[in-house]
Amino acid sequence: MLRVSDLVLGYGQEPVVEGVNLEVAGGKFVSLVGPSGSGKTSILRAIDDLLTPRSGRVELNGSREMVAFLFQDDALLPWRSARENVALGLRIRKMSKSAAHAEAEAWLTRLGLEGLGARYPHELSGGQRKRVAIAQVLALKPKLLLMDEPFASLDAIVRTRITQELLTWVEREHLSVLLVTHDLEEALCVSDTVYLLSQGPRARIRASYEVSLPRPRDVFAARTHPAFAPLLEQLWRDMFEEVGPPRIEIK
Amino acid sequence: MKLHQKLWVRRFLSLCVLAFFWEVLARRGIIDPFYAPAPSAVIRVVFSLFAEGRIFSHLEATFSAALAGLVIGVALGIVLGFAAALIPLVAELLEPVMMLLNAIPRVILAPLFVIWLGIELPSKIALAVVLVAVLIFFAVYSGIKDVDQLLVDRVRTLGGGRLILLREVYLPSVTAWVLGSLKVAVGFAFTGAVVGEFVAATRGLGYLLQFAQSTYNAALTLGLIFLVMAFVLLLFVCAEAVEHRLLRWRYRGYDQKAT
Repeated sequence: MLRVSDLVLGYGQEPVVEGVNLEVAGGKFVSLVGPSGSGKTSILRAIDDLLTPRSGRVELNGSREMVAFLFQDDALLPWRSARENVALGLRIRKMSKSAAHAEAEAWLTRLGLEGLGARYPHELSGGQRKRVAIAQVLALKPKLLLMDEPFASLDAIVRTRITQELLTWVEREHLSVLLVTHDLEEALCVSDTVYLLSQGPRARIRASYEVSLPRPRDVFAARTHPAFAPLLEQLWRDMFEEVGPPRIEIK
Repeated sequence: MKLHQKLWVRRFLSLCVLAFFWEVLARRGIIDPFYAPAPSAVIRVVFSLFAEGRIFSHLEATFSAALAGLVIGVALGIVLGFAAALIPLVAELLEPVMMLLNAIPRVILAPLFVIWLGIELPSKIALAVVLVAVLIFFAVYSGIKDVDQLLVDRVRTLGGGRLILLREVYLPSVTAWVLGSLKVAVGFAFTGAVVGEFVAATRGLGYLLQFAQSTYNAALTLGLIFLVMAFVLLLFVCAEAVEHRLLRWRYRGYDQKAT
């Protein structure tokens, strides 16, 4: 579905990431974790053509239209209602206004936002806005979903619930996902493969981990699976080797 | 009574109290009516201007100049702002000129416009246009430059090109900026019209003010000042209504916010 080869990205003289290789197979959930500033978001932006790489290749098995990007922030147009925001991508793809709005309403209902289509983003709670953003990208029926810490700003309860809902949808529709997150537990709960990026600058893939937990997954149950704890420990150990162990000095 | 209604009642009452004390002090001769005539005298002068119909041609002149200046200035500011934000060469040429015009008190151009365009309406409109256009230019120019990059990325990732970006992101962002400046622009348009008439004119509130000042008629001067203030306030209210109508997404529904 997606192959990234020898990707080099940078803003200044020194590259942020150098020689990154990763792959997302069809129907697989892949996560990219790493220290802050290691260039995780930049890699996602380069995949969706928002950032021009210095060198390297991004190969998609299909057209760019099959890719959807879920941002960290809701990125909803504040002057458009929830319904219009969801319909925006469909309208851009030449769907008629009435059909796009009907489709948007159906998606809002599917995501538990029935009757809220006429509200503007500021009239919705954080969780509701996030659901509108999810509806906006899922309405495009993508094959590959790029997600940049999409639920980081939500409280734990809403975050867990939305993660589970999205995971269930992804598994049912066999979507391919590349998730960027700093939450190692979350990455292991949802993924088939986790890539660990090294400390930047010149970050590269340090290791990859196959997560062989059964599917469909429950984000709670996954944490208690016997294979979970050893994987998490290994991931933390490798992460600490990158950034150094936590140090607390008390004077 | 709602909170904003209470606020207006309080403001009106404090104005009445001020007028009352002013009236009493003027009638008792504590303040010289030659310099500060009593509010009742000012009201009488304004009333007679309307009753005798002398004011209407002056009002027409000032309003024509201010409104024409406002409309042309806003349109010109929007066009130039967009051109500068989207075409680097235009920005290179326009930015220093606009910076300079913004830095100087632009009313000093009034005598020049009189020389170029005569003492009739066009010179007043020109001054109002320059005052308004510079303000709106910077609102649009910085509005486009400061547009939320996240929204741009959002529309791009949904497949939107330049035209859709313009319609869905840039135009609504800029509308918010322009409408935010509209009330100031109304004041600027009247400043342009009145100052233009002050310099040289045969009609208009500025011309009347100049006449009142040259004849030491404080009641007429104050009456005209209050008249200009009243009309500008009226236009402020209209501008605010337009802003609320066009930016209803910003003002609607805080009372039904979800939790």
